[in-house]
Amino acid sequence: MKKYVVFAILFALLLPLASAEKNVLRMVTSADFPPYEFYSGSKIVGIDADIIREIAKRNDHELVIEDMKFDSIIAAIQSGKGDIAASGLSVTEDRKKKVDFSVSYVTAKQVIIVPKNSPIRTPEDLKNKKIGVQHGTTGDTYVTENLGEPQRFDNGSTAVVALLRNKIDAVVLDGEPALVHAAKNPDLLILEKLLTEEEYAFAVAKGRKDLLDMINRTLKEMQQDGSLQKIVLHYLAPDVMNDSGNSPVSTPKETSFVEGLQDDLYLNFVKDQRWKYLVNGFYITMTVALAAVILGVAIGFLVAIIRSTADLTGGLTVSNFLCKVYLTVIRGTPVVLQLLIIYFVVFGSIDVNKVVVAIIAFGINSGAYVAEIIRSGIMSIDRGQMEAGRSLGLSYFQSMRLVILPQALKNVLPALGNEFIVLLKETSVCGFIALQDLTKGGDIIRSQTYNAFLPLIAVALIYLFLVMIFSYGLQMLEKRLKKNEK
Amino acid sequence: MKNDVILEARDLVKQFTGLKAVDQVSLSVHRGEKVFIVGPSGSGKSTFLRCINMLEIPTSGEVIFQGKQIDPFSRSINSYRGKVGMVFQHFNLFPHLTILENITLAPIQNGAMSRSDAEKEAVAWLKRIGLESKADAYPMQLSGGQKQRVAIVRACAMHPDVLLFDEPTSALDPEMVGEVQLLMKDLAAEGMTMMVVTHEIGFAAEVADRMVFMDHGKIVSAGTPDELMNSTSQRMKEFFNKVL
Repeated sequence: MKKYVVFAILFALLLPLASAEKNVLRMVTSADFPPYEFYSGSKIVGIDADIIREIAKRNDHELVIEDMKFDSIIAAIQSGKGDIAASGLSVTEDRKKKVDFSVSYVTAKQVIIVPKNSPIRTPEDLKNKKIGVQHGTTGDTYVTENLGEPQRFDNGSTAVVALLRNKIDAVVLDGEPALVHAAKNPDLLILEKLLTEEEYAFAVAKGRKDLLDMINRTLKEMQQDGSLQKIVLHYLAPDVMNDSGNSPVSTPKETSFVEGLQDDLYLNFVKDQRWKYLVNGFYITMTVALAAVILGVAIGFLVAIIRSTADLTGGLTVSNFLCKVYLTVIRGTPVVLQLLIIYFVVFGSIDVNKVVVAIIAFGINSGAYVAEIIRSGIMSIDRGQMEAGRSLGLSYFQSMRLVILPQALKNVLPALGNEFIVLLKETSVCGFIALQDLTKGGDIIRSQTYNAFLPLIAVALIYLFLVMIFSYGLQMLEKRLKKNEK
Repeated sequence: MKNDVILEARDLVKQFTGLKAVDQVSLSVHRGEKVFIVGPSGSGKSTFLRCINMLEIPTSGEVIFQGKQIDPFSRSINSYRGKVGMVFQHFNLFPHLTILENITLAPIQNGAMSRSDAEKEAVAWLKRIGLESKADAYPMQLSGGQKQRVAIVRACAMHPDVLLFDEPTSALDPEMVGEVQLLMKDLAAEGMTMMVVTHEIGFAAEVADRMVFMDHGKIVSAGTPDELMNSTSQRMKEFFNKVL
């Protein structure tokens, strides 16, 4: 009995300590949806971000904002990756089954954006037209159910860029973001007649009543003292938007090609220090790729040696079976899925740095390919080599390490180099778990400048440059190894 | 002196699927003895030799070295193989290592010798076979005869008690056979115990203390080279007529 009392006291003492440390509010959002959430420099701002910032402040919480793909947000809340989803979420019956919604903080409209010279004038004209939407939004759902399959883009800006390039006929978006897009692109027009109207609210995981109460109470306070309206107005006034770092795309006035290019270069890379997205992204991409290569080579060696030992000697049956399962699963599924599974399922309830998640995912993935490449190298070596090593009294693993592997590696160097190039480029799907790698960095610039050409080309050139340097180094290494033999 | 048995095979059997390559073979080899194993292709003589140092695991039977039975799955197999060197038909030099490294790899790795001792000894061996200028060359740069002599030296660098030769000259151009046989004769004269599988009957007759004729996985006959070559057995007459 005494024991229980001691435990109870200890528990009571520790409880406030634990909760005091846990005063962190993690907001998940898809920061490509101005004016609700978007990047200003390296900071995520907007109506949602500012409201949540205020809620966190008033309740003495530290705010952490996670940027991810819109269609991952609900899953992130459900799996506990974040506490609160604030991403221009409309309240729908489907979503209500998965998460709990706060009271609505704004009423949003789905509107239609078309080029000024478009024949589309009313929602009825949309029939049989190519309509762009943001994947996973209520606009997506509405168009899919009522008008047929839309073209789904990762974010609204990409859809607008596609519209400007005449790839699609119209874009269906939420009213406020559409206003911003239209304000920045004088060639575009928002149709007066609305498509739908809906309520925006924040979402939390089912059963988190305390959190929901806190949000609802603070929202009410903010409505009463006028701070909520102030935030909304701040972002919906176009002149404010221009001040906050997003300038309109240059209208097609009479500029020379060189001047235009200079302007574009300035807009995409210099203004607001946008080049930093590329530099930081480059750093992330290199970190993930290099560490994953090391992990992949380590796994690859281990698996290759187990597999070829089993082939050569008939032993290691259990390990060999496990290796075969690993190879089948990893090589049989797309790397994007492996990345998402490791992030959302394997580390679902543990908070792990996303760079580490990416390294693990790509390392495990690459290991499977490296293993088979090295195994093919080992099997290509004449069996007389192993016999010569063994006949001299070297052990199996000494012969493997000193005789077989050096020759095998030299034979498979081109194939290994190829695998590393593929790995480097495959890390470009890091954006799926909202890791800001090089590709994602380019995406963010594109979503801010509505300019597709320069950010995409810049990112492509950086990858190309990296691969060329790597290929050159590999060529030198091969030459040196060949010299040894001749 | 020739009475102490150093290596013995007892009832060795090697069964491949559908084929008994070695069938109940027993043979004793005395210290310093040169045993030459001859016989038609496919008679199982190479397989028998490979069973002696466990490159082929015998299906049944025993190999006894200096009074101890050899277990191919124990750790001691490595030190046993150091004591029973092997020379292969296709040399099996390590192409990624220099001639010197080929010779010193095993003594250094097994901790038998320090690197400098092993290298000194290897250079002495190379001098003896007239290849000291090739110490830093790679196997690709050597002729077949040179390669095989390096392979023999590589086996000798482990200070073996017995050397096994598996058709050491059959992959060589005719003009290179002599230099390899000369080195083998040298080693024989120094008292090395040898088991040699070969088709060079003339060479065998010259060097062998005992000649063993194998056919269909069995030892058909054993004796001095003269005894075997003058045998009245039809099968052996046929064989020697063909190879001589």
